[in-house]
Amino acid sequence: MVYEPVLFGPGFWGPIVATAALLLIAAVTWLILICGRRITKAQPSDQKMQTYACGEVLEAEEVHADSEQFFSPIRRVFKPFYRYVRPGHTGILSTYLFWVVVGLIIILVAIAVVLG
Amino acid sequence: MIPHAPILAILIPLFAAFLMPVVGIFARWKGLKRAREWFAIAAVLVEFAIVVSMLPAVWGGQVLVYQLGGWQPPWGINLAIDGLNLLVALIVAGIGTLVMIYSFVYMERDTGLDQYYTLFLLILAGMMGVALTGDIFNLYVFFEIMCISSYALVAFRRNWQSIEASIKYMIVSSLGTSFILLGVALLYGLAGSLNIADLAQKLGPVASSAVIVPLALFVTGFGIKIAMVPLHMWLPDAYQAAPSAVAALFSGATATVGIYAMMRVVYTLFGALAIGIMFATLGLVTMVLGAFMALVQRDLKRLLAYSCISQIGYILLGIGLGTTLGIQGGLFHLFNNAIYKTMLFMIVGAIIYRVGTSNMDELGGLWKNMPVTGTLFVVGALAISGVPPFNGFASKWTIYVAGIEAGQPVFTIIALITSALTLAYFLKALNSIFLGQRPAHLKDVKETPRSMLLPIILLAVLCVVFGVLPQLGIDLVRPAQEALMNSSGYISAVLGGA
Repeated sequence: MVYEPVLFGPGFWGPIVATAALLLIAAVTWLILICGRRITKAQPSDQKMQTYACGEVLEAEEVHADSEQFFSPIRRVFKPFYRYVRPGHTGILSTYLFWVVVGLIIILVAIAVVLG
Repeated sequence: MIPHAPILAILIPLFAAFLMPVVGIFARWKGLKRAREWFAIAAVLVEFAIVVSMLPAVWGGQVLVYQLGGWQPPWGINLAIDGLNLLVALIVAGIGTLVMIYSFVYMERDTGLDQYYTLFLLILAGMMGVALTGDIFNLYVFFEIMCISSYALVAFRRNWQSIEASIKYMIVSSLGTSFILLGVALLYGLAGSLNIADLAQKLGPVASSAVIVPLALFVTGFGIKIAMVPLHMWLPDAYQAAPSAVAALFSGATATVGIYAMMRVVYTLFGALAIGIMFATLGLVTMVLGAFMALVQRDLKRLLAYSCISQIGYILLGIGLGTTLGIQGGLFHLFNNAIYKTMLFMIVGAIIYRVGTSNMDELGGLWKNMPVTGTLFVVGALAISGVPPFNGFASKWTIYVAGIEAGQPVFTIIALITSALTLAYFLKALNSIFLGQRPAHLKDVKETPRSMLLPIILLAVLCVVFGVLPQLGIDLVRPAQEALMNSSGYISAVLGGA
């Protein structure tokens, strides 16, 4: 079977055109948002402003997403990486100095391999 | 060009630094409020004007050689300015000016500001000296001035965290500067000269095995300063503990000077373009590790510090590729990184100034209170993540294309994935700080003061300008790229008929 090459050409990136398009899309989005805005007058009450979770009333501080939990699936996927790399960043000076020495050896070997 | 511009660019901040305590005493005696701040701003503005005055000559293809005491190189000390170090000087002076304006209000609640402005001007003098000197021992001396000032600036707040971070930074960095000094000594032993151009000429016929150790010492020494993995660990501690204005200066200017020193020594002095692949590889490791570590941070300053490490990786990758496009991309990214990293640290400073913390778990919903700051944060975050139409996209794109053209598509793929990770951790920061539920105690938080917003807005405008008009950025860094790739031109210009 003979495959024919598909040529896409050199491509095109025009930052001014792209920026204009982005601004246009933003303007259209804003128009859509404006069209869909509330017509009736807002009538907030204490009861309406409360945050419910399974019948429990929560304070604003309690519903704030914990930054540690953000992207926790990525942390789980790269668990081995974090298990070995994070302990090196715990602020112990001797660990820092150890890695400086390791770095010097790596660089020395790499330069010797390239230039030697 | 202003007469004696090369030496004045170093002397103005140096003399201003030593005059600052006197100005402070005089201002208190006469009851002149803010006199020392205006004096410091005037000094950096003059320095910026001096650097700008050198642009036409250098961009016209000249190498400015300033002989101190009229001694001909290599016998006397000289300042040699080509496209590469002038770009660095421009970044240092520009960022220094903006951070100084920012400090005007940001530092007003601190005491001991005479010392702060003295150290600030001293670090500027050190950085300018490293950038402009044509002598390797002078480069080391100015590098030390820069480092010693930076240790003191990290510890400026004099609390437990800042003093601990400063001591750790001092010990690790001193090890690095000792490596540099040892490298200088070995080079002097090998070639009997300290002039960079003369050394480069004399090292040409020397066997490559003889330069392995000094070259490794220089790369490690400067690698510590730029926080190249695995020499990076001091950086998050130092940046987190330093006042945000200082962290902004470090991330924008000091890191740039570190990269410049490494490039000048490796490419011009040793002519070791071959080790570019090592820089590209270490750059990849640096960008990936920085991004993964940033992803799990709770403190915004620490997140930005890891982000700094990650962005340094991009610069090393671009420059390490060694092609014209790669070096252009790397230098363009160096320039862009100085812009948005300084801007992001200034925004953290603004948040700390208004709220008192940069812990993302204690923040939220601040968009309602700080809409301008929030918008500027979005600009910075999108720029650093390489999203069009901001400047980060232009420089990262150049590096991606350079990677493919250099026959290293894997490098480009890893860089692309890291860019996505960058966007991910900045979205996390945006959500944690500006979106979501606003804790009740943040109800009365006010917008960032105008004089602090001014430099941030200026930097945001630059993010847009260099994104929408990327050719402007490429034109800006082209003289630097040409200078980096034409070390023989530098050598002949400095040595002349010697």
